[in-house]
Amino acid sequence: MTIAETPRFVRADGPDKVTGSGRYTADMQLAGMLAAKFKFAEIAHARIVRLDLSAARQIPGVLAVLTDDDVPDVRYGAGLADRTLFARDVVRYEGEVIAAVAATTKEAAQAAVDAIVVEYEPLPIVDDLEMATADGAVLVHPEWESYRASPGVPRDGNVASHSSVVRGDVDQGLREADIVVTSRYIADGSHAAPIEPRAVVAQWEGDKVTIWTSTQVPFTARDGVCQTLGLPTNRVRVIVPHMGGGFGGKCGFHYEAHIAALARTARRPVKLVFTRREEFIAPDRRRESMIVDLTTGVKSDGTIVARRGQALLDNGAYTADSSFFTQLAVMHLAGPYVIPNVDIGAELIYTNHQPSGSVRAPTAPQATWARESHTDEVAAALGMDPVEFRLLNAVETGKVGPSGQTYDEIGLTECIRKAVAASETAGPLADNEAVGVAIGWWPSIPSPSGAYVKLDGDGAGQIITGAQECGTGSVMTLRQLAADELGMDPEDFQIVHQDTAVAPYDTGATGSQTLFNNGRAVIAAAGQIAEQLRELAADRLEASMADIVLSEGAAHVAGSPDRNVPIAKLARIASYGELLIGHGSGTPPSAPEISGATCAGDAGMAAWVAPQFSCHAARIRIDRDTGVVRVVRVDAVHDSGTIINPIGALGQVEGGVVMGIGQAISEGTVYGADGRQRNPALLEYKLQTAADVPEIHTQFVEIFTPDAGPRGAKGIAEAPNVPTAAAIANAVTKLIGRPVTHLPMTPERVWEAMR
Amino acid sequence: MKELRIATSLDEALALVADGYQPVAGGTDLVVAARGGKSELPDHVVAIDRLTELSEIDSSDGGLQIGATVSHARLMRDESVIDGFTALADAAALVGSPATRNVGTIGGNVMNASPAMDTGSPLMVLDSEIVLRSVGGERRVPVSDFWTGPGQTVSQPDELCIAVAMPDLPSESGSAYVRLEYRRAMEIAVVGAGAVVSLNPEGDGRVVGVSLALTAVAPTIIAVGGIADALIGRAIDESALADVAALAGDQASPISDLRASDDYRRHTVGVMARRAVEAASRRAAGASIPVPVNRSVGIGAVT
Ligand SMILES: Cc1cc2nc3c(=O)[nH]c(=O)nc-3n(C[C@H](O)[C@H](O)[C@H](O)COP(=O)(O)OP(=O)(O)OC[C@H]3O[C@@H](n4cnc5c(N)ncnc54)[C@H](O)[C@@H]3O)c2cc1C
Repeated sequence: MTIAETPRFVRADGPDKVTGSGRYTADMQLAGMLAAKFKFAEIAHARIVRLDLSAARQIPGVLAVLTDDDVPDVRYGAGLADRTLFARDVVRYEGEVIAAVAATTKEAAQAAVDAIVVEYEPLPIVDDLEMATADGAVLVHPEWESYRASPGVPRDGNVASHSSVVRGDVDQGLREADIVVTSRYIADGSHAAPIEPRAVVAQWEGDKVTIWTSTQVPFTARDGVCQTLGLPTNRVRVIVPHMGGGFGGKCGFHYEAHIAALARTARRPVKLVFTRREEFIAPDRRRESMIVDLTTGVKSDGTIVARRGQALLDNGAYTADSSFFTQLAVMHLAGPYVIPNVDIGAELIYTNHQPSGSVRAPTAPQATWARESHTDEVAAALGMDPVEFRLLNAVETGKVGPSGQTYDEIGLTECIRKAVAASETAGPLADNEAVGVAIGWWPSIPSPSGAYVKLDGDGAGQIITGAQECGTGSVMTLRQLAADELGMDPEDFQIVHQDTAVAPYDTGATGSQTLFNNGRAVIAAAGQIAEQLRELAADRLEASMADIVLSEGAAHVAGSPDRNVPIAKLARIASYGELLIGHGSGTPPSAPEISGATCAGDAGMAAWVAPQFSCHAARIRIDRDTGVVRVVRVDAVHDSGTIINPIGALGQVEGGVVMGIGQAISEGTVYGADGRQRNPALLEYKLQTAADVPEIHTQFVEIFTPDAGPRGAKGIAEAPNVPTAAAIANAVTKLIGRPVTHLPMTPERVWEAMR
Repeated sequence: MKELRIATSLDEALALVADGYQPVAGGTDLVVAARGGKSELPDHVVAIDRLTELSEIDSSDGGLQIGATVSHARLMRDESVIDGFTALADAAALVGSPATRNVGTIGGNVMNASPAMDTGSPLMVLDSEIVLRSVGGERRVPVSDFWTGPGQTVSQPDELCIAVAMPDLPSESGSAYVRLEYRRAMEIAVVGAGAVVSLNPEGDGRVVGVSLALTAVAPTIIAVGGIADALIGRAIDESALADVAALAGDQASPISDLRASDDYRRHTVGVMARRAVEAASRRAAGASIPVPVNRSVGIGAVT
């Protein structure tokens, strides 16, 4: 199939977003609602020597002022429990919350925040990834050993997690190589930068709290509230209104417990809405900066024999969900190549920066940019065409990858061929233009997930799912799966989603997993109703159940379309008897095996279920006088298995490419020597705008993938973000003759490299 | 308590300003700065955006007089601006986004006095005057005397800017404004340059008049001294353009900040200067380069 084919259907929330009828968390108004404001540390590392709330409490209209003293003594964190809701004695980054205030107006809340007196004894700033691990380095968490952590993750002082993949004998491999190339690349951190800053509303009724919040992961948010406030899951209900984007930045548990605690103390509903600056500095989700060292040995025929590599990742002050990033980074430094001897490690390092966490394809854009730039350097050293070099060394069906996983049918080399061929159709290159090519890979993430489906008496369908919609559109696509299962139209279904009290569990809009896992659940749930409908129809049509076919809104006997009964009629019959209710979850696909590799700090990321592959060819133009780079065309080809909703998949690729362009050339956090962000604003943190978007041509290499998502699908949401910056970098190198070794490749950095 | 008055006549506005009210036109500097926490909203504000007296573009007396509340969107489309004062249209077309251009005004841009303001270099090379009025009367200040530092002008708190005025250019003249852009919308000038070039009417391609001004490389917009000496009598060729770039780089005194280092600004302002002079001279020679020049030169060009 080509994506030129008519799309199946357009997302259901589109009109709400375009017309403004969609209601976001910040739009909510409840009777008696208070406004919340936080007192942030505003200093990167210091001991609190005095905290005086008395003046703040006196401000008229202030109904609650909370600090660490007012909440249970709980340390939390996904893989490593190093975090508390409020700062305790020491602040470790500028956006750490010291106190929370609720007041009748925003102004009163702000006045109270301003009236809070904090005196600090400044502590040395830890912000250098290499110095942080040196002997005698100041520890960000002197008490790190006492923290509860996932088993099997090596830690040591400022190293919050370490992992490595070792296979074969790297020293021997490098000795046998004809050419050895060594590179160092440095990537700045970046932000998810959703257009909707986060917002939380909490309201108590008796001993139950309802929290409306702009989270990508309602169940995780709920569990965070339960853990930190000591509540069972059935007394915390998390509902997500319309979301204005997340991009990973709204994964995890953030401020839901702070607002619930304020609402409980104030005995009023409370609303928090972040400013843009707060959205930049505070949440523990930003893309980690990284230092990458790579050494690769190749034979003169172009085959890779060995790779040694190391990545240092900036964890920031706390470990959000980043424990497993080290293993992901290792996999991206290895890349989708056949390399018999590898020794690659990564360390996640505490600093006094904002904590890092999942942002769309964590670790991948930066690590892939480094690896693919290095790959072009290796090809250049060989005097080999970089595309040929990739075709020669890329993993393919039946081959063994760098971590010892043997791949079933995959389409990586086809992605490469198609992307390059498509980019060549764009005509000859001007002398200030070049095309760079890069490949990437990304895991599909199996996880438990559930859904209910029901058909009511009029035959209208409802999908009640734990899945969450952050703008990906994948929840919308669930209607297509249910409809196909029941021979109905997607428009016959409405979706109730993102409400933890109503629907079964789902991991949330994270890890490209919604359709991959919740699709399985919806198909299973709809399948139960299909059985019921067949039984009812068999009865009415006097046929055997096995012969009943559901299609076009009716049940008919196979081979005799005229012997039929409308599904709406069956639904009416059922509404007087056994109701049409299905529930589904299904078993997630299990992890493949690896052989021959030793993995320290194994987070289950060395072998990938249904791995996704991609190749992007980026055509760029350079202004040689200024170093300004403009991307004029991207040809993106993806193996994401079966494509279920082409228009949705296309949207993911296009969005991912644009995000990738930003990371390549304009988006990067700048830190001052004081450990604070210098550009927490949209004028100085430069996202790409609509006017910058190039032509994007997308193709899918569709391979039915067993042990994957529904109908042989893999994930798609993060993959397009993986190789974009890398492809752009390789084009830049072609034009200026050497790589720009610092991401983002801003005009000034390109100009410096040209000099 | 904050107070906002919406003026319905210029006299009313002048009286309020004399009373200490601060004018707001589009609010894209004033309100945005307040929301961003940069500076607090003044307690007493008078909105002047509805004053028809300030929204005219008038060429009846020769030259052009542009009312203070004329928006960037109008400037970039107005025939008389595009025909005779193209650099100003080039600049207006680059401001922010369509929304910013629809709301932001030339008076606000001038009075906000940012060293990165885009209409500044064009106004400088077009020899403009700022028309100020207070209840006590009217005065005209040449732009070369108007800006005194970042956010600072010679205007008094009781004065309103009611217009900017500029004389017609000699025949065979062209003007252009070019800025360095990292992206194609919502950008702020890292550096920029505006130029007017007048060519010998005999058609030998020699320069008979030239002026050049630079954006975002000093505390205010600056005029490049000595540019006339350097170019008059010469054709605009590679060597002349190299001299333009060198002169601009020499006279720039840029700072290093988040957007760029001083070195990079000094280099790129030279590039912008030569592009502005080149585009202005091509326009002087009759070439039609659409507004804004940024979309035709360098890689900002639309394909
Ligand atoms: C998203 C965005 C992008 C932008 N991009 C650019 C850009 O690319 N280039 C650029 O140059 N600017 C840019 N700006 C800044 C701003 O839009 C312009 O400076 C605009 O021209 C200001 O006009 P205004 O009418 O909105 O000014 P206002 O905000 O209304 O006023 C600005 C200042 O001038 C005073 N003032 C206004 N009118 C008068 C008057 N008639 N007499 C006396 N004082 C007056 C006000 O009191 C205030 O101090 C941008 C702003 C935003 C928000």
